[in-house]
Amino acid sequence: MERRKFLGMGLVAAAAILAPMTKLNAVNFREAKPKAWEIEKSVDAIKGMFGDGELKTTDKIKFTAPKLAENGGSIPITLSSDLDIETIALFQDANPRAATVVFSVPEGQKVDYSFRIKMRQTALVTIVAKAKDGTLYTLGKEIDVSIGGCGG
Amino acid sequence: MAKMKIKAKEKDGVVKVKAMFRSLMADKEEAEKKKIEAEYITHIIGKANGKVVFEATTSGFMAENPLIKFSFTGAKKGDELEFTLTDNHGKTKTGKKKIK
Repeated sequence: MERRKFLGMGLVAAAAILAPMTKLNAVNFREAKPKAWEIEKSVDAIKGMFGDGELKTTDKIKFTAPKLAENGGSIPITLSSDLDIETIALFQDANPRAATVVFSVPEGQKVDYSFRIKMRQTALVTIVAKAKDGTLYTLGKEIDVSIGGCGG
Repeated sequence: MAKMKIKAKEKDGVVKVKAMFRSLMADKEEAEKKKIEAEYITHIIGKANGKVVFEATTSGFMAENPLIKFSFTGAKKGDELEFTLTDNHGKTKTGKKKIK
Protein backbone atom coordinates (compact mmCIF):
# COMPACT_ATOMS: atom_id res chain seq x y z
CA MET A 1 0.00 0.00 0.00
CA GLU A 2 2.78 2.36 0.92
CA ARG A 3 4.50 1.70 -2.37
CA ARG A 4 1.31 2.36 -4.28
CA LYS A 5 0.89 5.71 -2.59
CA PHE A 6 4.48 6.60 -3.33
CA LEU A 7 4.03 5.79 -7.02
CA GLY A 8 0.86 7.84 -7.14
CA MET A 9 2.66 10.81 -5.65
CA GLY A 10 5.40 10.44 -8.23
CA LEU A 11 2.85 10.55 -11.01
CA VAL A 12 1.25 13.69 -9.63
CA ALA A 13 4.66 15.33 -9.36
CA ALA A 14 5.53 14.36 -12.94
CA ALA A 15 2.21 15.72 -14.17
CA ALA A 16 2.84 18.96 -12.31
CA ILE A 17 6.22 19.34 -13.98
CA LEU A 18 4.88 18.44 -17.41
CA ALA A 19 1.83 20.67 -17.24
CA PRO A 20 3.62 24.03 -17.57
CA MET A 21 5.73 22.65 -20.39
CA THR A 22 2.71 21.82 -22.52
CA LYS A 23 1.25 25.17 -21.54
CA LEU A 24 4.19 26.94 -23.18
CA ASN A 25 2.72 26.21 -26.55
CA ALA A 26 -0.58 27.79 -25.75
CA VAL A 27 -0.40 31.55 -25.51
CA ASN A 28 -3.54 33.57 -25.20
CA PHE A 29 -2.33 36.83 -26.71
CA ARG A 30 -5.22 38.75 -25.25
CA GLU A 31 -4.04 37.87 -21.76
CA ALA A 32 -0.33 38.11 -22.54
CA LYS A 33 -0.44 41.44 -24.39
CA PRO A 34 -3.71 43.14 -23.46
CA LYS A 35 -2.49 46.62 -24.42
CA ALA A 36 -1.55 45.72 -27.97
CA TRP A 37 -5.20 44.93 -28.74
CA GLU A 38 -6.33 48.48 -28.00
CA ILE A 39 -3.93 50.31 -30.35
CA GLU A 40 -5.34 52.05 -33.39
CA LYS A 41 -2.39 52.16 -35.77
CA SER A 42 -0.91 48.99 -37.22
CA VAL A 43 2.68 50.16 -36.78
CA ASP A 44 2.27 50.74 -33.06
CA ALA A 45 0.23 47.58 -32.59
CA ILE A 46 2.97 45.52 -34.21
CA LYS A 47 5.50 47.06 -31.83
CA GLY A 48 3.23 46.30 -28.91
CA MET A 49 2.77 42.70 -29.97
CA PHE A 50 6.21 41.73 -31.25
CA GLY A 51 8.56 44.30 -29.76
CA ASP A 52 10.95 46.67 -31.51
CA GLY A 53 12.68 44.06 -33.67
CA GLU A 54 13.60 44.74 -37.27
CA LEU A 55 10.94 43.73 -39.77
CA LYS A 56 12.12 41.93 -42.89
CA THR A 57 9.97 41.95 -45.98
CA THR A 58 9.53 38.51 -47.43
CA ASP A 59 7.90 36.72 -50.33
CA LYS A 60 8.08 33.32 -48.65
CA ILE A 61 4.69 33.83 -47.07
CA LYS A 62 1.75 33.55 -49.40
CA PHE A 63 -0.93 36.04 -48.61
CA THR A 64 -4.04 36.00 -50.76
CA ALA A 65 -6.71 38.63 -50.53
CA PRO A 66 -9.00 40.25 -53.07
CA LYS A 67 -7.80 43.56 -54.55
CA LEU A 68 -11.29 44.93 -54.39
CA ALA A 69 -13.65 43.71 -51.72
CA GLU A 70 -17.27 44.28 -52.53
CA ASN A 71 -18.44 43.55 -49.05
CA GLY A 72 -16.27 44.91 -46.27
CA GLY A 73 -18.08 42.71 -43.79
CA SER A 74 -16.49 39.56 -45.06
CA ILE A 75 -13.12 39.64 -46.79
CA PRO A 76 -11.55 36.24 -47.43
CA ILE A 77 -7.88 36.00 -46.50
CA THR A 78 -5.55 33.06 -47.03
CA LEU A 79 -2.14 32.69 -45.42
CA SER A 80 0.31 29.92 -46.16
CA SER A 81 4.03 29.41 -45.77
CA ASP A 82 6.67 26.70 -45.54
CA LEU A 83 8.83 28.67 -43.11
CA ASP A 84 9.13 27.58 -39.50
CA ILE A 85 6.82 30.15 -38.03
CA GLU A 86 5.86 30.47 -34.42
CA THR A 87 3.32 33.26 -34.55
CA ILE A 88 1.56 34.95 -37.42
CA ALA A 89 -0.66 37.98 -37.03
CA LEU A 90 -2.83 40.23 -39.14
CA PHE A 91 -3.18 43.98 -38.62
CA GLN A 92 -5.24 46.55 -40.52
CA ASP A 93 -5.75 50.29 -40.37
CA ALA A 94 -9.42 50.30 -41.26
CA ASN A 95 -10.98 49.64 -37.88
CA PRO A 96 -10.83 51.36 -34.48
CA ARG A 97 -8.26 48.82 -33.33
CA ALA A 98 -5.54 47.38 -35.52
CA ALA A 99 -4.97 43.87 -34.23
CA THR A 100 -7.33 41.44 -35.88
CA VAL A 101 -6.07 37.95 -35.37
CA VAL A 102 -2.98 36.23 -34.02
CA PHE A 103 -2.35 32.59 -34.81
CA SER A 104 0.10 30.66 -32.66
CA VAL A 105 1.40 27.90 -34.86
CA PRO A 106 1.81 24.71 -32.83
CA GLU A 107 5.11 22.83 -32.90
CA GLY A 108 5.62 20.90 -36.13
CA GLN A 109 2.69 22.44 -38.00
CA LYS A 110 2.84 24.64 -41.06
CA VAL A 111 1.03 27.89 -41.69
CA ASP A 112 -2.10 27.24 -43.73
CA TYR A 113 -5.07 29.30 -42.67
CA SER A 114 -8.05 30.84 -44.38
CA PHE A 115 -10.50 33.07 -42.62
CA ARG A 116 -12.54 36.23 -43.14
CA ILE A 117 -12.17 39.69 -41.71
CA LYS A 118 -14.15 42.91 -41.52
CA MET A 119 -12.90 46.25 -42.79
CA ARG A 120 -14.62 49.60 -42.59
CA GLN A 121 -12.74 51.30 -45.39
CA THR A 122 -9.90 50.90 -47.86
CA ALA A 123 -6.71 50.34 -45.94
CA LEU A 124 -3.41 48.56 -45.76
CA VAL A 125 -3.40 45.06 -44.31
CA THR A 126 -0.13 43.96 -42.73
CA ILE A 127 0.94 40.44 -41.94
CA VAL A 128 3.70 39.95 -39.37
CA ALA A 129 5.18 36.55 -38.74
CA LYS A 130 7.69 35.56 -36.10
CA ALA A 131 9.92 32.66 -37.10
CA LYS A 132 11.23 30.07 -34.64
CA ASP A 133 14.65 31.75 -34.70
CA GLY A 134 13.12 35.09 -33.72
CA THR A 135 13.26 36.81 -37.12
CA LEU A 136 10.27 38.99 -37.87
CA TYR A 137 8.87 38.82 -41.37
CA THR A 138 6.35 41.20 -42.78
CA LEU A 139 4.32 41.81 -45.90
CA GLY A 140 1.40 44.03 -46.69
CA LYS A 141 -1.30 44.62 -49.21
CA GLU A 142 -3.86 47.31 -49.74
CA ILE A 143 -7.43 46.13 -49.99
CA ASP A 144 -10.08 48.34 -51.57
CA VAL A 145 -13.39 48.17 -49.80
CA SER A 146 -16.49 49.49 -51.50
CA ILE A 147 -19.00 49.04 -48.70
CA GLY A 148 -18.07 49.47 -45.05
CA GLY A 149 -17.98 46.37 -42.92
CA CYS A 150 -18.73 47.37 -39.37
CA GLY A 151 -22.48 47.57 -39.66
CA GLY A 152 -22.25 50.88 -41.54
CA MET B 1 -22.95 31.36 -26.70
CA ALA B 2 -21.54 30.34 -29.90
CA LYS B 3 -22.45 27.13 -31.62
CA MET B 4 -19.95 25.44 -33.85
CA LYS B 5 -19.79 23.23 -36.88
CA ILE B 6 -16.67 21.21 -37.50
CA LYS B 7 -15.64 19.17 -40.50
CA ALA B 8 -12.37 17.28 -40.52
CA LYS B 9 -11.05 14.93 -43.15
CA GLU B 10 -7.80 13.00 -43.26
CA LYS B 11 -5.94 12.22 -46.47
CA ASP B 12 -2.32 11.04 -46.73
CA GLY B 13 -1.59 12.04 -43.15
CA VAL B 14 -2.83 15.60 -43.53
CA VAL B 15 -6.04 16.52 -41.81
CA LYS B 16 -8.02 19.30 -43.43
CA VAL B 17 -10.36 21.11 -41.12
CA LYS B 18 -13.20 23.51 -41.76
CA ALA B 19 -14.70 25.01 -38.69
CA MET B 20 -17.48 27.50 -38.36
CA PHE B 21 -18.25 29.24 -35.10
CA ARG B 22 -21.57 30.97 -34.68
CA SER B 23 -20.90 34.38 -33.21
CA LEU B 24 -21.92 37.94 -33.98
CA MET B 25 -18.32 39.10 -33.64
CA ALA B 26 -19.60 42.55 -32.67
CA ASP B 27 -16.97 44.84 -31.22
CA LYS B 28 -17.78 47.85 -29.04
CA GLU B 29 -18.50 50.32 -31.86
CA GLU B 30 -20.54 47.91 -33.91
CA ALA B 31 -22.56 46.79 -30.92
CA GLU B 32 -23.41 50.40 -30.14
CA LYS B 33 -24.69 50.98 -33.65
CA LYS B 34 -26.84 47.88 -33.63
CA LYS B 35 -27.84 48.44 -30.00
CA ILE B 36 -26.78 45.01 -28.89
CA GLU B 37 -24.24 43.81 -26.40
CA ALA B 38 -20.65 43.40 -27.58
CA GLU B 39 -19.98 39.76 -28.21
CA TYR B 40 -17.02 38.21 -29.92
CA ILE B 41 -14.74 35.23 -29.67
CA THR B 42 -11.35 36.09 -28.24
CA HIS B 43 -9.57 32.77 -28.26
CA ILE B 44 -9.89 29.52 -30.19
CA ILE B 45 -7.89 26.43 -29.42
CA GLY B 46 -8.05 23.13 -31.27
CA LYS B 47 -6.69 19.86 -29.93
CA ALA B 48 -6.30 16.39 -31.37
CA ASN B 49 -5.12 13.51 -29.17
CA GLY B 50 -4.41 16.01 -26.41
CA LYS B 51 -1.97 17.95 -28.59
CA VAL B 52 -2.59 21.53 -29.63
CA VAL B 53 -2.99 21.69 -33.41
CA PHE B 54 -4.60 25.08 -33.81
CA GLU B 55 -4.56 28.25 -31.81
CA ALA B 56 -5.77 31.73 -32.56
CA THR B 57 -6.43 34.86 -30.58
CA THR B 58 -9.09 36.86 -32.37
CA SER B 59 -10.74 40.25 -32.08
CA GLY B 60 -14.12 41.60 -33.09
CA PHE B 61 -12.81 42.41 -36.54
CA MET B 62 -13.09 38.90 -37.79
CA ALA B 63 -16.17 38.56 -39.97
CA GLU B 64 -19.46 37.45 -38.47
CA ASN B 65 -19.71 33.70 -37.93
CA PRO B 66 -15.99 33.12 -38.46
CA LEU B 67 -15.20 30.30 -40.82
CA ILE B 68 -11.67 29.04 -40.47
CA LYS B 69 -9.94 26.54 -42.69
CA PHE B 70 -6.62 24.99 -41.81
CA SER B 71 -4.73 21.75 -42.09
CA PHE B 72 -2.48 19.86 -39.72
CA THR B 73 -0.50 16.64 -39.48
CA GLY B 74 -0.22 14.08 -36.72
CA ALA B 75 -3.71 12.64 -36.46
CA LYS B 76 -5.56 9.88 -38.24
CA LYS B 77 -9.08 8.74 -39.06
CA GLY B 78 -11.27 8.23 -36.03
CA ASP B 79 -9.28 10.53 -33.77
CA GLU B 80 -11.20 13.19 -31.98
CA LEU B 81 -10.76 16.88 -32.67
CA GLU B 82 -11.76 19.22 -29.89
CA PHE B 83 -12.26 22.98 -30.04
CA THR B 84 -12.50 25.32 -27.09
CA LEU B 85 -13.79 28.86 -27.55
CA THR B 86 -13.50 31.74 -25.15
CA ASP B 87 -15.58 34.89 -25.64
CA ASN B 88 -15.17 38.45 -24.40
CA HIS B 89 -17.24 37.70 -21.30
CA GLY B 90 -14.88 34.88 -20.39
CA LYS B 91 -17.37 32.13 -21.17
CA THR B 92 -16.02 28.98 -22.75
CA LYS B 93 -17.55 26.35 -24.96
CA THR B 94 -16.17 23.09 -26.27
CA GLY B 95 -17.12 21.07 -29.30
CA LYS B 96 -15.88 17.69 -30.48
CA LYS B 97 -15.84 15.94 -33.80
CA LYS B 98 -14.34 12.72 -35.08
CA ILE B 99 -11.91 12.99 -37.98
CA LYS B 100 -13.26 11.28 -41.09
